[in-house]
Amino acid sequence: MAQYQITFMPENRAIEIEAGTSLLKAASKAEIYIKSGCGGAGTCGACKVTVVSGEVETTGTGNLNPDQIAHGVRLACQSFVQGDLTVEVPPESRLQEHQVLMGDVKKGILQESTNDILDKYGHKPLANKIRVQLPEPTLTDNASDWARLSVELKRNLPYEKNIEIPLSVLRDLPEILRQANWDVSLTLTDLDDKYTITRIEPGNEQPPYGLAIDIGTTTVVVYLVNLKTGAIEDKQGTYNKQAKFGDDVISRIVYAVETPDSMQEIHQAVIDTINELTDKLLARQNLIQADLTAAVVAANTTMTQLFLGINPRYLRLEPYIPTVSLTPSVPARELGLHILPEALVHSYPSVASYVGGDIVSGALITDMANKEEVTLFIDIGTNGEIVLGNQDWLVSCACSAGPCFEGGGINFGMRAMSGAIERVEIDPETLDVNLTVVGRILPVGICGSGLVDCLAKMRKAGIIDRAGNFQLERSSYSARLRQTPDDKEFVLAWAHQAGGDKDIVITENDVKNLIRAKGAIYAGIRSLLQMVAMDIDLIDRIDIAGGFGNYLNVPDSVQIGLLPDLPAEKYEFIGNSSVKGACLALLSQKAWREAADLARKITYVELSIGTTFMDEFVSALFLPHTDLSLFPTVEG
Amino acid sequence: MPITLVKEKYQSKVGQVIIGATPDQGGTRTKVIVAGGDSALPFLHFEGKVENRPVIAMEVTDIIPPWNDVIKEQFGDVLDNPIAWAKKCVEEYNADMIYLKLIGANPDGENRSPEDCARIVKEVLGAVGVPLVVVGCEDSDKDNEVMAAVAEAAAGENLLIGLAEQDNYKSITAAAMVHKHNVIARSPLDINICKQLNILISEMGLPLNRIVIDPMIGGLGYGIEYAYSIMERARLGALANDKMLSMPMICTVGYEANRAKEANALAEEFPGWGELQDRSILWETLTATALLQVGASILLMRNPAAVRLVQQNIADLMEANA
Repeated sequence: MAQYQITFMPENRAIEIEAGTSLLKAASKAEIYIKSGCGGAGTCGACKVTVVSGEVETTGTGNLNPDQIAHGVRLACQSFVQGDLTVEVPPESRLQEHQVLMGDVKKGILQESTNDILDKYGHKPLANKIRVQLPEPTLTDNASDWARLSVELKRNLPYEKNIEIPLSVLRDLPEILRQANWDVSLTLTDLDDKYTITRIEPGNEQPPYGLAIDIGTTTVVVYLVNLKTGAIEDKQGTYNKQAKFGDDVISRIVYAVETPDSMQEIHQAVIDTINELTDKLLARQNLIQADLTAAVVAANTTMTQLFLGINPRYLRLEPYIPTVSLTPSVPARELGLHILPEALVHSYPSVASYVGGDIVSGALITDMANKEEVTLFIDIGTNGEIVLGNQDWLVSCACSAGPCFEGGGINFGMRAMSGAIERVEIDPETLDVNLTVVGRILPVGICGSGLVDCLAKMRKAGIIDRAGNFQLERSSYSARLRQTPDDKEFVLAWAHQAGGDKDIVITENDVKNLIRAKGAIYAGIRSLLQMVAMDIDLIDRIDIAGGFGNYLNVPDSVQIGLLPDLPAEKYEFIGNSSVKGACLALLSQKAWREAADLARKITYVELSIGTTFMDEFVSALFLPHTDLSLFPTVEG
Repeated sequence: MPITLVKEKYQSKVGQVIIGATPDQGGTRTKVIVAGGDSALPFLHFEGKVENRPVIAMEVTDIIPPWNDVIKEQFGDVLDNPIAWAKKCVEEYNADMIYLKLIGANPDGENRSPEDCARIVKEVLGAVGVPLVVVGCEDSDKDNEVMAAVAEAAAGENLLIGLAEQDNYKSITAAAMVHKHNVIARSPLDINICKQLNILISEMGLPLNRIVIDPMIGGLGYGIEYAYSIMERARLGALANDKMLSMPMICTVGYEANRAKEANALAEEFPGWGELQDRSILWETLTATALLQVGASILLMRNPAAVRLVQQNIADLMEANA
């Protein structure tokens, strides 16, 4: 195969690449990550790059206009290296590094609740550390090192269980015992029927740490947990590097099953994402990898399988069967995580193909399975999972809302981070806009809570009708409402008021996307209620999870028909419940055992069977809904 | 052993839409048509009142239609003259209304001007006394111009004009509001979109009693069951007091039934299907009669022989069964 040199601008980073490689893959090899919502199918148009010099072979031009093509703009996934190249990657095509907003306390209309349910389960972590002083061997006390250690350990441990030592640790044993003068600290993985020694070091009082990992389709969050005190010492979050293979789980599965290589590549992408965050945490806290003695992962079924390197092919083929629900715990070295190699990595069990461990984790946090009252738990994210029930019964479904509320698929959509518009006020007369921006800086885009707000306010101001169509006749009132060659749009912030060089707008297409996303969530709730023949008023509590930053505006959500028109006091926002559940499992064996029971208890409802969901979906594609009687408090 | 007759009690009834206007109402029609008003399931006279019998509007086009000979032969030499054609429908075949399709307006065909279309409508209005249903050529931009001109030219006649659709309902609704006509709201075999469209139209200010639902039926053998169940849901919705589903329903029976191969293929080609003469008539008749069972108020039909059979069927169904 011929090799060519490709240089990426503005970094001026050059790499050697084989002829016929797509620019998307080449960029990723150069560690420049390009957005690719459709997973390289050439349909989303997110991966625009400019070929400055050299020749590429182009197989498709997607939505590019002739003017762009003339200026060398190409879709990276549809362009293949044919010679030496220089390629410019514009900022809007990049998967930006970003911080995930995590837990700075803020006054919101629906503030994230802080429920500490660890008290209920008791503190008994999945790994702990014990310090022992061994008697030195002599000619008369000539037991082996391991026998000596076991005897002493048994004396110090609270209950009688087998103790095992992996070969890798056994190899270190003789030297460390003698270096430390027989005073050693042992890290033990404590699982139901046995102790396993995962680390041996000279005696010290440093606590053991663990990682709680939430692998979202769009973002990955890692918490560093002190297993001794139960305190969350630090947090890190970023985009899931798998995003370059597609925005949603389906396009990633499609990508993963193309060739054996792509499976490895997509598995490695998530491992790299986690390792990157782990390394940052270690550096910030002055720890070494061996100090991280356990990890619990909460992720949807697809993410879990990709994380473990299990082929996800059959998740998306009828009848949608996962390889495993109760995932085995595996030593970190098998996955290449940057933690103690012998440390066990536990993944939350899943319910079905599209209701996974992140939801079991969230449901555990809500404690819904132990209460008499009926709870509706909704994760407003890409997959839109919903669980309904109480101590007697639990049903769940996934309604695939898409990445809208996380900023995906919206022109100026972004995560809830600095520069994101999170509140919008629109004057119904003049159409003037008043914005609230995270971090009180100039706006660069709009996040989920801002989008919900925006939709409600645009409807109120008569900018859109109930179907989301722009009312261009109102453009005589304000220059903010305008028709462009591509679409109709409403200007939220003029370029001179925004942190970029472009006007921040919301287009009719964005609005339709949002309506589909909110329609999917509401239709999912209605379908689930119909399955159990239950009236919406019988729900006692609604727990909302999702990446809305720190709050979701419930009145606005009801206004657009995203959430049922129920009294505000029934609602509670629980933030990233998935990572919280992972923390809980790290710190409590009882909670971890209960997670397995919980996953078994939840019945999965397949929405693709029958007409219920489709019917409900179409009726929810309206503001707030086709059946206005479902929203008595929403004015016309 | 005495048997108690089970009677459903309904909260509400289908709304009524008046089409046409007599001279003392500001128009020139000799009679008006009232559609809808039922307070029971179709023809269950023992359960509620069947207020108005379903009516048949016969199809007339402003160009010579590409129909099969079984239908064309019955009209003789009037097919190139909408005025004579409309007269024949009313005088010979007892059509309750004329369904005028302005296909000649299509930019890819005759490209007839809006003024010209309006003139044809006026001429048909002059030739017959029955109320009119008028629709355009299915090119939405052109139809918006054509129907605005027609609505203005026929102001006072209280026509039933179409088509308002989800992505294009404003111009025609505005024209109907300004010139006081009724509107056909067409949705693609979907009860939710049907309802959404009615809400959008009524929020523009057109009263609910000026909207007629076109559920976009499928003909016999080609999806009629979807239309059937959707119309049934709409009727049940109306009886349960869902105001946005309470409009009377109009069905494009002639167009849909006669698209079927079964309504046009000769017996030589498919011996197992029997003679085309009967088949062609029955295909349209059965499409109509099935939809009458789920509450069609206005049937848009073509074949005079089928019209005659359906008229007889309606007469039978209107006999009390209380």
